Amino acid sequence: MSTTVVAPLAITGCGVVSPAGVGLDALAGWLRGSAEPAQRGAADLDAPDSDPIAGDFPPMPLAAIPGLRVTDYLGKKGIRSLDRTTRLALVACYQALAGMGTPLTDEDRDRTGVVIGTSTGSIRSTSELCRDTYVQEKPYMVRVDQFPASVMNCCASQIAIKNSLHGVNATMAGGRASGLAAIRYARNAIARGHADHVLAGAVEELCPQSAWAWYRSGALTAGAAVGEGAAVFIIEKPEGAAAGGRVPVAELLGCETAIAGTGMRRALARCAERALERSGIPADAVTTVSLGATGLRGLEAAEEDAVRAALGKLPTIQLRPSALLGESFSATAALQIAAVLAAWRTDSAAMGPVALVTSIGHDNDVGCLVLRQPGYNQKPGHDQKG
Amino acid sequence: MTGEAGRRVAVTGLGAVSSLGTGVRSFTEAIRAGRSGIAEIQSFDTTGFPYTMAGGIRDFEPESLLARLRVAEWGRSSLLAAAAARLAVQDAGIDPDYLAAASAGSVMGTTGGEAALVDELTGTWVTEGMKNLDRAQVRKVPADRVGAAVNLELELSGEALTIATACAASNYALGYGYDMVRTGEAEFMISGGADSIARWAHAGFYRIGALAESVCRPFDADRSGTLIAEGGVALFLETLDGAVARGARIYAEVLGYGVNCDARHPVAPDPVSIADCIKTAHRNAGVSPEDIDYICAHGTGTPANDATEISAVRAVFGDRLPPISSIKSMIGHTLGAASGFGALICCMALHEGFLPPTANLVQVDPALGPGVDCVPGTSRPAAPRIVENHGFAFGGNNAITILGRAV
Repeated sequence: MSTTVVAPLAITGCGVVSPAGVGLDALAGWLRGSAEPAQRGAADLDAPDSDPIAGDFPPMPLAAIPGLRVTDYLGKKGIRSLDRTTRLALVACYQALAGMGTPLTDEDRDRTGVVIGTSTGSIRSTSELCRDTYVQEKPYMVRVDQFPASVMNCCASQIAIKNSLHGVNATMAGGRASGLAAIRYARNAIARGHADHVLAGAVEELCPQSAWAWYRSGALTAGAAVGEGAAVFIIEKPEGAAAGGRVPVAELLGCETAIAGTGMRRALARCAERALERSGIPADAVTTVSLGATGLRGLEAAEEDAVRAALGKLPTIQLRPSALLGESFSATAALQIAAVLAAWRTDSAAMGPVALVTSIGHDNDVGCLVLRQPGYNQKPGHDQKG
Repeated sequence: MTGEAGRRVAVTGLGAVSSLGTGVRSFTEAIRAGRSGIAEIQSFDTTGFPYTMAGGIRDFEPESLLARLRVAEWGRSSLLAAAAARLAVQDAGIDPDYLAAASAGSVMGTTGGEAALVDELTGTWVTEGMKNLDRAQVRKVPADRVGAAVNLELELSGEALTIATACAASNYALGYGYDMVRTGEAEFMISGGADSIARWAHAGFYRIGALAESVCRPFDADRSGTLIAEGGVALFLETLDGAVARGARIYAEVLGYGVNCDARHPVAPDPVSIADCIKTAHRNAGVSPEDIDYICAHGTGTPANDATEISAVRAVFGDRLPPISSIKSMIGHTLGAASGFGALICCMALHEGFLPPTANLVQVDPALGPGVDCVPGTSRPAAPRIVENHGFAFGGNNAITILGRAV
């Protein structure tokens, strides 16, 4: 693997929807402990104040985004045929773009890409289209407007269409680390000149298909909820952000992923070590870890062991967003990043300057991202090495 | 990024599992002869479907191709990906242990991921209810397993990226793999793609009017649509210098790529945006339109795609259109693997000296305008130096790779 220190990238916008609600502040509130973990029963999924989530769910805790009406953000035009996966990501993108200090110009949009992580697309859309092939009078009588949505790249391409973004448009299937895969792809696309800005993130919708899959898989620990969410980050070079008058909310440093045949602990520890090396950050500078495997049978302890192995100890501040938000598979790592940004927003000093986002999953995948508070590398005594 | 210093990237191994055979030799031989891999669908019950032809693989035996993966734990697309990757490594003549210890990763494209498993699980939903979904089956569904399968089969220590940008995915993968080797992020990358035939995709393509009844005739006046297909394809990438140093057979050099997004319509392609993508690919590869000796078309055989594609090519190349053909006429549309098969046959065309044909061509559609040379029938001897490989997808996702003869 290359050991060169990567050029930092700036996050200049962030949008998040999660069972904590819409936006970073709602997430920050939950992380501060002002709310109970999300455990809504299936009966609440069609609450009158929200877009309903139809269907029969398994008898297990569920965590849906409360009070979400996407038309409040996206208007009514062209929304009807979009599935929940696409809607959640569109709301996150809307927020990320709206929150930028200086909006993207039309010229910027020609050079703005979209990279979205999802491992199945909307599994509800695909399954429902497929169901029609079995239950309709003729097997080909599927809904025409549902076919594009059954393909995984639908969400990323809809983001481009709705926001006129003509740059590279890619969909990453990366399991629980999909958000990290999106960041790796985005970093290369920016470095190689395929885009100036990238909206990178990941999404997972709550639906009966995936909830039953989790229920049947036996992969979650007792009491763990199945959740949903989307988080999208606007990524660009720091010099581009400065030229555009946009203030970074975080610096993206090393981001490493791997597949491990055996020895997941060791693989994740090595991944974390590499990510730190490529960030030019010593292990003892890490002040916060945002863990992802909370609630995953067999992996929760492995993840914490790996962080201990890489850093010598667990950092003082540990964020476990999945404990609050539920297991949201492809959106997990992106929501872990959002959790760091949310915590920084409310208490940046206590959180310290450097956060590690770790990922470990049942598809033998491990990943690690290093995030730094902007300006940290200018402070004396913390010069970047390498 | 033109002119930016970087390492030159060579393709030194090719792997194919397709309806036209296993391994790059038998695949290429069949393509050169203009043979068809299209047959009656066997992978699902076609009762009630008006059209029942596709490019299915009848003789895929993962056990005989794979050394490490336990076949029962993986879906068909993952197995196709891993098998193609294993074949590409064997073809590259590189020691697997050396590769496993090196800085090596994979990047694979897919449209449906484990789409055939979704068929099966939905069948369970319909007959027994979701509460009876098979535990082992659901664990095999996530599409990230397509790339993971490659790394686990070959014990690669680097990243495994699965790009799900529909039918342009393999070209995205080749571009990313090229960048990883070029920048030194990795020493070796396996780029490719895999997809399986699924009932729901067949239904969807039929319903939107994109399916042909039995014959895929790209660029023909009587073309009526595409045929879905499956396959696994892999290209082994390393530095040109490294390839020369170890005395490897070099099929081709990856010169560059372009990617963009129409951002206009979820299904209909846009010729202006595709033309922009071609120009970007040329610029990034440091070539001009007159340098291009052949275009491996996206060429799905739908009336709309082929007209749009030729119109875009015309906008870039003017009156001098390079020969342009579609191997989908023989293997059908292998979806996420399609532009990977295109890249593979481009490598072979550069290496062996031929132009791949468009089969089933009776009369080039006059509406496509003058000067459209689709290399009808069987392959044509030629000595292409630089070729262009197209991949377009639903959602207006365009990706174009440029490959050159190794010199």
